[in-house]
Amino acid sequence: MYDISIKEVNFSYGDNAVLKNLSLSIAAGDFVAMVGPNGAGKSTLLKMVAGLIKPDSGLVQIAGKDVPTACAAGNMGYVPQHYAQNTVGFPATVEEIVALGLYSRHGRKMKREGERHVVSHMLELVGMQDLRTRLVGELSGGQQQRVMVARALAINPGILLLDEPTSGVDYDTGTKLYGLLGELNRNLGITIIAVSHDIDKVIRVANKVACINNGVCFYGESTEFRHNHIGAPHLFPYQPQ
Amino acid sequence: MELLQFDFMQRALVAGLITALVCPLIGIFVVVRRQAMIGDGLGHIAFAGIMGGYVLNIYPTFVAALVTMLGAGGIEFVRRKHIRYADTSLAIFFYSGIALAVIFSSMAKVPGNGIIGVLFGSILTVTATDLWLIGACALLVLAVMARCFYKLMLMSFDEEVAKVAGINTAVVGVVFSMMTALVVVVGMRIVGILLVSSLMIIPVAASQLLRVGFKATLGWAVVFSVISVWGGLVLSFYLDIAPGGTIVMMAVAIYLLLLVGADGLLFKWLKPRRVNPVSGQER
Repeated sequence: MYDISIKEVNFSYGDNAVLKNLSLSIAAGDFVAMVGPNGAGKSTLLKMVAGLIKPDSGLVQIAGKDVPTACAAGNMGYVPQHYAQNTVGFPATVEEIVALGLYSRHGRKMKREGERHVVSHMLELVGMQDLRTRLVGELSGGQQQRVMVARALAINPGILLLDEPTSGVDYDTGTKLYGLLGELNRNLGITIIAVSHDIDKVIRVANKVACINNGVCFYGESTEFRHNHIGAPHLFPYQPQ
Repeated sequence: MELLQFDFMQRALVAGLITALVCPLIGIFVVVRRQAMIGDGLGHIAFAGIMGGYVLNIYPTFVAALVTMLGAGGIEFVRRKHIRYADTSLAIFFYSGIALAVIFSSMAKVPGNGIIGVLFGSILTVTATDLWLIGACALLVLAVMARCFYKLMLMSFDEEVAKVAGINTAVVGVVFSMMTALVVVVGMRIVGILLVSSLMIIPVAASQLLRVGFKATLGWAVVFSVISVWGGLVLSFYLDIAPGGTIVMMAVAIYLLLLVGADGLLFKWLKPRRVNPVSGQER
């Protein structure tokens, strides 16, 4: 089980301070919806947890270890925001893309037979078994997103990070995808952080909400957030007490 | 076969086969990483290396290999440091290579036909030493690519995802650039500096038209590359025309054939049957 601890993190893009002394403690098995207005620093914080950005000051730890150690141990699955740019023209089948999730700095994680089994299981999990031989660039946005989730899950991560997983997909597809993520969180106990603008959809499945605005963060139960903010005109910008 | 009686043709066919095997292996990553012009850039640096070899009186292909690998490392370093100006930095390396080549050729007083041979290839003059060097470079490229293949595939798909998987993308990127440089040097003797990147790009572009998976695309690219090189060599021998240009035009012909026929019979034969998961109908 992997908990995430973010302690007094600061980060700026030039003179623009995005995260100010931000602290957050995410328990193992939580599903966190990370919301907030554009430019609030949601993706920056997610990338910090993924080890793609280093904080100017402060500390990010996964299960008590630093982020590179967690990444090297294969504890993290990551679904980036702009994956669609990469899938266009990338000549790989759905199976090959999911198998990519098994490759790390150590190269292939398992032998071919085991790899086939894992890929098949992951595709079954996201309901994409029938499309396994299709080129990923030929799939719809929602199908591609499912493939990306399957790829991120292939390594059996303790933590799954998703950056805007429903951007560019229709309402129903987005709802189904969050339903799938909710199931994965409940059934497999994976800690999930999903950055999203689809607040109404994501907080139906998330048990926690991290609302980031003006560099600071509201963190609490999603039921509390839903009760206080959904439909309210003062939702953004959120003004912390 | 009449042409096999000649030693120079035997060496040309072996050198061509080696080149045809390694070019698409690098080319598939060059294409999916959208760096199709890197081969041209490195070719220009290799040109400076060859001419530098003449100035220093050291085996020119060896000097070209060293200089091109250094240049490739430099291009990758600058590309990562100034990602927004990656194409500009490539152009600077490109022009520096050409400029140095011109200076060195004037210093070494290289004759015009020597320069033409470097620019457009001289596969029929491949020596036994060339063959050993080409073979050694190709073996090194194959060994490194076997070790880095999946890391490069993941990096080419998404560099951020590769970093999260714990891959040192900067190191793998530099190693790949150096392997690209070696392949440029290998291919340079076959089709020349000006056409060397065509053997990396065109067979891969042709196999992409088949719309099969990554490894299948690579496999077909190697097949098209071998057909182009050997077919081009045989054709040029009997028609008495320039082998470099003939090889590249063979590759272009295969590309055009597939472009026209990709939705025809060939495509239906190669393509696995697809079933719509919702309707259950084939598509």
